[in-house]
Amino acid sequence: MSAGSAIDLPTWRHRHLLDVDRLTWPELETLMAVADRFATATADPATKLDVLRGVNVTILFYEASTRTRVSFEIAAKKLGADVVSVTATGSSVTKGESLIDTVRTLEATGTRMLVMRHATSGAPYLVPAIFGGNVINGGDGWHAHPTQALLDLYTLREALPAPVGSEAGSKAGPGAEAAWSLRGRKVAIVGDLLHSRVARSNLWTLTAAGADVWACGPSTLLRGFEAWAATGAGGRHFTATSDVDAAIRDADAVMTLRIQKERMAGGLLPSLREYAATYGITRERLRGAKPDVLVMHPGPMNEGVEIAPDVAEGPGSLITSQVHNGIAIRMAVLALLDAAGPVA
Amino acid sequence: MTDLDLSRVWLVDPGRGREGPAELVVRRGVIRAIRWLRGPEAEGIDDRGIVVAPAFVDLHAHLREPGNEAAETIASGLLAAAHGGFGWVGAMPNTTPAVDTPGSLELLDRRVLDAGQDLPPGEGTPGVLAWGAVTVSRAGEQLAPLAELAGAGVVGFSEDGAPVRSAAILRSALAYAGMLGLPIVDHPEDHGLTEGAEANEGLVATVLGLKGWPAAGEVAAVARDIAILEDVVRDVPAARLHLTHLSVAGSFELVRAARARGLPVTCDVTPHHLALSDEWLAGARRWAWEALDEAGRRRDPWVDGALVAEPYDTATKVNPPLRSPEDARACRMALRDGTADAIATDHAPHAAIDKAVEFGLAANGITGIETALGVVLAAVDAGELTLARAIALLTVGPRRVLGSSLGPDRIGVGQLAELVVFDRSTTWQVSPGTLRSLGKNSPLLGRALAGRVLLVLHLGRVAYQDGGGAER
Repeated sequence: MSAGSAIDLPTWRHRHLLDVDRLTWPELETLMAVADRFATATADPATKLDVLRGVNVTILFYEASTRTRVSFEIAAKKLGADVVSVTATGSSVTKGESLIDTVRTLEATGTRMLVMRHATSGAPYLVPAIFGGNVINGGDGWHAHPTQALLDLYTLREALPAPVGSEAGSKAGPGAEAAWSLRGRKVAIVGDLLHSRVARSNLWTLTAAGADVWACGPSTLLRGFEAWAATGAGGRHFTATSDVDAAIRDADAVMTLRIQKERMAGGLLPSLREYAATYGITRERLRGAKPDVLVMHPGPMNEGVEIAPDVAEGPGSLITSQVHNGIAIRMAVLALLDAAGPVA
Repeated sequence: MTDLDLSRVWLVDPGRGREGPAELVVRRGVIRAIRWLRGPEAEGIDDRGIVVAPAFVDLHAHLREPGNEAAETIASGLLAAAHGGFGWVGAMPNTTPAVDTPGSLELLDRRVLDAGQDLPPGEGTPGVLAWGAVTVSRAGEQLAPLAELAGAGVVGFSEDGAPVRSAAILRSALAYAGMLGLPIVDHPEDHGLTEGAEANEGLVATVLGLKGWPAAGEVAAVARDIAILEDVVRDVPAARLHLTHLSVAGSFELVRAARARGLPVTCDVTPHHLALSDEWLAGARRWAWEALDEAGRRRDPWVDGALVAEPYDTATKVNPPLRSPEDARACRMALRDGTADAIATDHAPHAAIDKAVEFGLAANGITGIETALGVVLAAVDAGELTLARAIALLTVGPRRVLGSSLGPDRIGVGQLAELVVFDRSTTWQVSPGTLRSLGKNSPLLGRALAGRVLLVLHLGRVAYQDGGGAER
C-alpha cells in the first residue's frame, strides 16, 4: 500500500510557513506544482507515501477547528508521517502552561513539525526561536491562515485556467500551464474583513497572482482596509468598498467570509438579518457578476446569512473543491518545509 | 563628599538658556566655581563631546515595588535611573498595594533609604518623587486621602496605568489637589474605545491583524480632561492638570488650544513615542523620522526593506501603543514648540515571564529610563531637536511641571551638585547585561546608543559613575 518516495522536491528556502506575505509568485507556483504531483500520486485513496516517514508531526490547536485540523492530519498521514493531534482547551491566558513551555514539551517528545492554530494574532512567531523543527501556521487570530489562502489560490487555478489565446498563454506556448495567473480576473472578498485571517492571507496571494481584488463589507467590518487599499502598502493594490454590487460586478469569483454572532454584541452590526439582506451572497446579487461566477467560502458557513444555501450548493460553488484541495496543498507545504530542513 | 574638576566640557544650563564651553569645580559636593570659556580657551570644545547638564528629572516611572519585585525593585530601578542620567525619579503609585495612604508612602521612603544605606560616603541614589493615587486602591470610586498624602510629601496624584475613569471624580480631584497646590496627572484613555486593543489603529494593525487602539481613544479623553479643568479653574485657580505620555497629533492640538486660552495644563511625551513608530511591530527598526519620506509621507516598510526583525516582538507592546510615524512627528513638533513641557520615560519594566507570551497576552510597557538619553540624542543627531531643547525637556521642563519643589532651576555656585556628565562621542550597547533594570523588555536591545553617561551627581553625591569599557 505504500509507494516509494518517487517525488523529487524542488528546493525551498523557508523553514516555516508563518504567513504568505513574503512568498514570491514563483514560490507560490512551486507550491501549487508540488500539490499537483501529490494530488496525482495519491489519487488512489489507499496510497500512502513515505516522504515524511519517521517524522513526528504535531497538530496543536488552541482554537476549535474541524476542517483545517482534519485536513492537516490526512495530509501528514498520506505523506507517511506520525501524527499527534493536541487540542488545547486553554492558553497561557488562563495562567496554565505557557505556549513556550508547551512547545518545548512537544519538542522533547519528538515533534519535528508543528502545525499551530491560535486565537491570538502572531502567536506562531513565538515558536521558531525556541523550537528546532518546522512551524506551520494553521491560523492565528485575525492575522493569517496561510494554507487556506494557498488552497484557495490552487482551487482558482483549477477552476479558472488561463483563457486560450490570453497574453500569458500565447507567449508561453506549449508550457502555458506554468504561466497561469489571475491577471485580468476580478475576485471579490465579501464579509467581515476586519476579523478575517482568511481575507488577509488571500489579499497577499491573490494580488501576487495578479488578480483585481475587491475587499467588500459594511464599513464597521472593513475598518483599516480602506486605508490599506488607498496606500497600496506592501505593494498590494486592491479596492476596498462597502458597495457590494460594485464589488460583485463582473467578478470571476466571489469569496464569502463567515459572519460571527459576536459582532452584534460588539456593536459592529445591527443584526444578522440586516447583514444577510444587505451583504448576503444570493443568486440575485450574483446576477451582476460574470455569468459563470465562482463562489468560495472557507467554512464553516452560516447558510442564509453570508451565503444563500442555493448559492453554496449551486453550479459555481467551489466549496467542496476547496476542502478537497486543502489536502494536496498541505501535503506540499509539509513536504517542502521538511525538505528545507530543521534548524541546525 | 565629592570633589570634582570638570574642565573643557560643553555645559548646558537650560535654566539660564545658556550653553557653551566651560569648566566647573565641585568641592565636598558643592559647586564652587563655574567658568564659561571664551576665545582660545574654548577652542576645540563643542557640543559633540563631553556634555555637562543638570541631572535629569523623570516625571513618570514604574518602580514596581511593592508587589512586583520580579519586574523591578526600588533599588534596581534607582540604579537604572542613575545609569540613564537621572537625579530624580517620579514613581507612579500603581504598585500593589497602591500608594494611597501616608503609610504606603513611608514604605516607599524606607526602601529608598535602604537602597542608599550601604553605599560608601560620597555615594547615593537618585531621589524619588512619589506620586500618590487619586482614589483609594486606584479603584476609581473614592478619593484617596489627598491632603494627608500631600502632607507626607507626594508631588501630585495619578491613577497611571489607567485614566481617572469617572469625570466626576476627576473634577473633584482637580479641585481638591488644586487647593493643595498639587497637579493631577492623567493617563488619557477612553476605555470604551480601547478595550482589548493591541496596537495603534492604523495600517500596521490592519496588516498584522491586531486590534486597534484608535487615536480618538486618547483625544476624546484629553478633550474631556480639558473641559473639566476649564470648569474647575473658575473656582479653584490653582488647579493643575498634567497629561502624561501623549502620543497622537490630535492631543497636542487640544493642549495647544487650551494653553492659548490660559488653562493650567501641561503634558509630556515618552522617548519611544517621539522616536519609534508602529512599524516596529511589523519588524522595522528605523527611527520614526526615517519612516517618512522627504514630502512627509509614510514609507512602505513592506517594500523598502525596512523589515529587519520578526514581527510581534512583545518588547514593542506598550500603552499607549507605538503610533504612526506622523504621530511621532507631531510629538516632536509639540516638544519643539513648547506645547509639550517634558520628556518622561514611562519606564515600565516587566519580568520575562510577562513578555515571553503571545503578543495579545503580553504585558504593556517598555523599560526605558536607561535608553531615554540615547533615544533623545538620536533625535538631536537627526536635527529633530536641538541639544539645548532636548536637555531642557529632561530638566527644567519637568521641574516646572512639578512646581518649585526641587529647588533652583539654574546651575549655580554654592548649590549641592545636581549634574549629569555624558559623552556624545561614545556609544554603549543596549543588552540584558548592560541594562541595570530588572526589566529587559526593551525594543532597543542589540542597538548601540550614543551619549554614554559618565557621571551623575544627586544632591552632591555620586549616584552613578561609569566603570569603563564594559558597555561598549
